[in-house]
Amino acid sequence: MKKISALLLTAMTLALTTGCTDSDIVTIDFWHNYSAGDGQVEVLEDLIAEFEEDHPNIHVEHVFLEWSALRQGVILGADTGLLPDLLRGDIAFVPQFQSLNVLEELSAYDDYETVANTVLAQPNSSNLMNGKYYGLASNTNTKILFYNEDILEAADVDVPTTLDEMWDAASAVSSETVIGYVEPWTGIWNVGPYIWSEGGDILSPDNTTATGYLNGAIPVAVISKMRQMYADGHLTGSSMNPSAMGDTDGWAAGKYAMELDGPWRQASNNAAGINYGAIPLPPGDEGSISVLGGENFMMFKTSPDEEKAAAWEFTKFLAGEHAQVEMAKHGQMPVNKDALENAEAVTAMPLLPVFAEALETARARPVIPEWGDIENIIAASVAEAITGAKAVQTALDEAVTAINAILAG
Amino acid sequence: MKAFLVRFKKKFDWRVLVLFLPSFIYVCMFTFYPMIKMFLMSFTDWHIGYNQESPIVWFDNYVRVFQDPVAITAIVNTLFYLVITVPLQMAIGLFIALLINKITHLSVTFRVFYYLPVVTSWVVVALLFRYIFMNDGLLNYFLVDVLHFTGEKVGWLSTRFMALTATGVLGIWKGIGWNMVIFLAALQAVPKEYYEAASIDGANAFQKFIYITIPSIRGTIAFALVMLTIGAFNTYTPIAVLTEGNPYHQTEVVLTWMNFKTFSTLDMGYSAALSIILMMMIIITTMVMMKFIYRKGR
Repeated sequence: MKKISALLLTAMTLALTTGCTDSDIVTIDFWHNYSAGDGQVEVLEDLIAEFEEDHPNIHVEHVFLEWSALRQGVILGADTGLLPDLLRGDIAFVPQFQSLNVLEELSAYDDYETVANTVLAQPNSSNLMNGKYYGLASNTNTKILFYNEDILEAADVDVPTTLDEMWDAASAVSSETVIGYVEPWTGIWNVGPYIWSEGGDILSPDNTTATGYLNGAIPVAVISKMRQMYADGHLTGSSMNPSAMGDTDGWAAGKYAMELDGPWRQASNNAAGINYGAIPLPPGDEGSISVLGGENFMMFKTSPDEEKAAAWEFTKFLAGEHAQVEMAKHGQMPVNKDALENAEAVTAMPLLPVFAEALETARARPVIPEWGDIENIIAASVAEAITGAKAVQTALDEAVTAINAILAG
Repeated sequence: MKAFLVRFKKKFDWRVLVLFLPSFIYVCMFTFYPMIKMFLMSFTDWHIGYNQESPIVWFDNYVRVFQDPVAITAIVNTLFYLVITVPLQMAIGLFIALLINKITHLSVTFRVFYYLPVVTSWVVVALLFRYIFMNDGLLNYFLVDVLHFTGEKVGWLSTRFMALTATGVLGIWKGIGWNMVIFLAALQAVPKEYYEAASIDGANAFQKFIYITIPSIRGTIAFALVMLTIGAFNTYTPIAVLTEGNPYHQTEVVLTWMNFKTFSTLDMGYSAALSIILMMMIIITTMVMMKFIYRKGR
């Protein structure tokens, strides 16, 4: 018993003394979802080392969490108080986390405006709620149309120049072994670009109602077109039909000919040795309007002041030209204006000009806390409509009723 | 009471307390506390978050669960999964145990092979089954391209009950080994004399099975039935991997739907109510089963 007490005492003293020597160093916890497979985590570690050298009083502990774990971590942390000092995650997280009342208002910082001016305004607008900014853009992306050149060539089909041509091309290349178009989910992230490009919308401009928007004539026509494509076997996706091959597998197998997808599609297609091309979404009646994606940096109210200050320093470093160019070399589209024109970044991302063109007209999904719920409702209703479980108008009318109930609070 | 205290004092040993406390604390922290907290949550409109208020709504969450068509779908799907997986797992497991019980050679080898699915990871085998049941999967390849049974590929995972049946096949395949081991142990404990006596009386193999084997392993059957029923109510991984509840929540089971409502829509009160309902379903089913089994015989 005495031995044990002695051991415990030594351990406690040790813990206390080591604590003392480190007391000048501020440690910040940084949660992120930089892609481990593309070497981004290694880049991050190098960047952290550089940052720590310049800021000897700050130590950054980084934790990789994949998308849903990152989200769940914050949701649970909102209750327990176990939150990081800094997080880099999906732009769609901002309104959700803000509704948990955990985010630090960054526009209250003196130099926020100066820093925000160095990044693209459009991606950074995803941090804006009620006139205040709750984050800073980290990376941006949008979706462009990827097509399998070999399949199009074999079927003697030209690269489409309009949205109608795109659906026709998808039908023309479909065969026993090929499905012309794949759409892995049926949320607005997926069907929004087709609706917007044809001139339709999801919610009213002030986000108060979906009546006459989601169930208006244009969305109904777009979804009806997709329903026809699905019935003919020219369109598939695992959320509409769980028997369908996943999109990455399907590309690699030469099964899928076209998909509206983000920058990550390059890496998997390159790895699979697929001969592919990419263009901005072919325009509909209203032009080519893709959906805005990407990630933001977010800080938390729960952190002590000195950790907030350190986290903000680190955020500015990661949003700076040098860090953004390094990340661009591993597939992250920069938001920093200087990095976007940096020769190294452009060489590293051959599709950067295509994405840049698509970004000019890309639209963000509504930045409201209820958006996650709303998009889930839309995803289920659109899947019902496309698979033929319900009439298109009925399914969208039902979705509108449910969405309006949510918007009414 | 006094007698109890005296006995307690005589038997009390602080070493027992030391051994007992860690697991008691553990169970309190990770089982009882969450259960009580969840029970209370189910009566509130729980707002997760920093300094958030959670108003009491009494039975609103329970009403919402029963009015939600997806929740009803999920409950029916769970019962469907239970009804196809539990009896078949037990029947096949028992059949294999009977076969293995009889052989003298290679019995260990067979036991290992049949037990392998039990010790492999749920996620891994569920992914493998996804590749079997997919449109372009192994099963369709055999049916269409090798055996030419049909010209059209079958969408095994595309519609509600077809997908649930496919998931059931995975559940059965994964559970056979566990049943086999449990039943084999029970079979080996049945005294040989019973069978010898029955043989002298002229009983055939089927009669011996019905009148000796089954009554002798009744307790084990009851145990397996109750354990598997609880397991089937709590099924999650096979659905999460094979269909993710798609299309449009048609293949959700209670746990996948609970997970969706908790983490995708943050509807914590609803999920708490749903899990209380699930718990009540498990308790009632188990009690009915126990009563039924122990009323007959014993």
